[in-house]
Amino acid sequence: MTHSIRGRLLAWLLGTLVAAGLVIGYSAYHRAQEDIDDLLDYQLKQLAFSLSHQSVGSVPMPPDLLLPEPDFITQVWDKDGVRMFYSRPNLAIPMRPRPGFSNVEWNNQSWRVYTQLDGFRIIQVAHPLSLRKEMAADLTHRAVTPLAALLPLLGLGIWIIVGHALRPLSSISSALRARTPSALEPLPQRDLPDELVPLVGSLNDLLQRLNRALEVQRQFVADAAHELRSPLTAVQLQLQLVKRAGSPEERTTALERLERGVQRSTRLVQQLLILARQDPQQPEEVQAVVDLDRVAREVVADFEPMAQRDNLTLTLDSQGPLRIRGNGDSLRVMLGNLVDNAIRYTDRGSVTVRVHREGGEAILEVEDTGTGIPADERGRVFDRFYRVPGQEAGEEGSGLGLAIVKRVADRHGGRIALDSGGGGSGLRVMVRLPDGNSQA
Amino acid sequence: MRLLLVEDDAMIGEAVRAGLRQEGFTVDWVREAEAGDAALKAEAYALLLLDLGLPRKSGLDWLRELRRRDDRIPVLILTARDAVADRVAGLDSGADDYLVKPFDLDELSARARALLRRRTGRAEPTLRHGELTLDPATHEAYYKGHTISLSAREFALLAALLERPGAILSRAQLEQRLYGWGEEVESNAIEVHIHHLRRKLGAGFIRNVRGLGYTVSKMP
Repeated sequence: MTHSIRGRLLAWLLGTLVAAGLVIGYSAYHRAQEDIDDLLDYQLKQLAFSLSHQSVGSVPMPPDLLLPEPDFITQVWDKDGVRMFYSRPNLAIPMRPRPGFSNVEWNNQSWRVYTQLDGFRIIQVAHPLSLRKEMAADLTHRAVTPLAALLPLLGLGIWIIVGHALRPLSSISSALRARTPSALEPLPQRDLPDELVPLVGSLNDLLQRLNRALEVQRQFVADAAHELRSPLTAVQLQLQLVKRAGSPEERTTALERLERGVQRSTRLVQQLLILARQDPQQPEEVQAVVDLDRVAREVVADFEPMAQRDNLTLTLDSQGPLRIRGNGDSLRVMLGNLVDNAIRYTDRGSVTVRVHREGGEAILEVEDTGTGIPADERGRVFDRFYRVPGQEAGEEGSGLGLAIVKRVADRHGGRIALDSGGGGSGLRVMVRLPDGNSQA
Repeated sequence: MRLLLVEDDAMIGEAVRAGLRQEGFTVDWVREAEAGDAALKAEAYALLLLDLGLPRKSGLDWLRELRRRDDRIPVLILTARDAVADRVAGLDSGADDYLVKPFDLDELSARARALLRRRTGRAEPTLRHGELTLDPATHEAYYKGHTISLSAREFALLAALLERPGAILSRAQLEQRLYGWGEEVESNAIEVHIHHLRRKLGAGFIRNVRGLGYTVSKMP
């Protein structure tokens, strides 16, 4: 089967026409046969009737009545069965004593025979049935032939009309082909045939979503490029200070600064990569069963040295295994960012990680005794590259930590709540991962 | 020369301050526009180095405010915004120069020197006075055809006096130019520097105007 709509329509329409022609021909043939039967039967009857009103002796030969080559065979017998007359001496169909119509096989032919008894004579008129078939076939042929002759013309017409009707489709495809990847404005929807409106509508919908996704991506790259300038500027300046350093002490200080600058750049790049990997546009990674208790233990163990360095108490408060469906790596990054932030913004006191279940929800909680986040800033801290004014992390933050936390929580269908720590100071971040994800 | 640096990034701020100090500038560093505003009102600065991406109030808004109240301090913008439109907006808002991050310390100090030179109406890069020539770019000093060696403070003090020959600068004014925040100033520091300079240039080069301060004569 061809894949072209035009070709298919042509094949189907012509096929249907041919089938219709065959049906018409078949029924016309039958109808013609019936009519011819009636007509010729009537004729036979009339012929017999006309003969019965004439004396046989005065009838020389029956005239050619209707047909150019009358195959009528007329015979007359007297009441004793003695043949008084026949029209074709070589075609003497045996006498049928029963009056009326009958079909007779004789001389390798089928004959239609009409017999009339009028008291003292038997008149029998017959002709071959093949004659009737020929006539019916001829009539049918005459009816069907013009149709068959029209078929190529119809095919051409269909080809042209369908091609015309499909023109909007090819104009859409050429419009799409002419597009560059950056030209994502919607296709024009005016003057479209009804059948194409849904297609173009869905295409435009897709283009719009694609455009939005690209815009988000573009913005991200622009932001990232801008944000990368700061640590790179720092590194470049620090490197120059290393070169200029006069004394070994100056050199050591400059190198330490340079090292911090490089660490900061590395961290920013890592965070950018993590965030890009958590892209909401990308399909959800394969989810597995994750034990939050274990994730929390690993994260706490990772950050213990950093907490010790800053003289902070880092504790884990967990009620044993708590399994949910999710992505273990992402959840580890998320909790890691929260603990990292808590340690950075806490000068003294403690950081507590809690893992527990509440009303079927799995809850990850990180509480610190640090500077906290003012209530009016809490809505913005999840924005990429947003930093709370006036707050100083030990090193420069990447501005991405909480954006990553939010992204991971979103992808797990979770919610994040920020409030002050237990004593009214510090910060408590609560991530609720929904019921549907929980597994007993 | 005392400069005010307004930069919210700790690492960049630290490095710029350290680099400019090596070039003989006195640098005070704040991290927000508000603090910068307070500093400008309290001290006399020769140049403002301004980052645009500041928290709370943007550098550009603050710059417009400064110009509206007719503050004529030369302003050099340091920013990561590199689009032409941003640079045009920065200059049209009243900045005198625009440097895009990441930048080179040498370029930064050269631009700073150029702005300071223009501020005093000079086009020539070196400071000349009679037989004395100071080159702020290299910190070299020539007197009567010979190189003389000056410490960074001595150079800065001499440069301050040569900026406007004949003008009298008080000890407090000189201290203010030479020492930034958090730098210890010995009570007789200026006298010590003057003493050293007189030894190198001859007693009559810098005059002491009793009770007022120090000056170099208008034309020798």
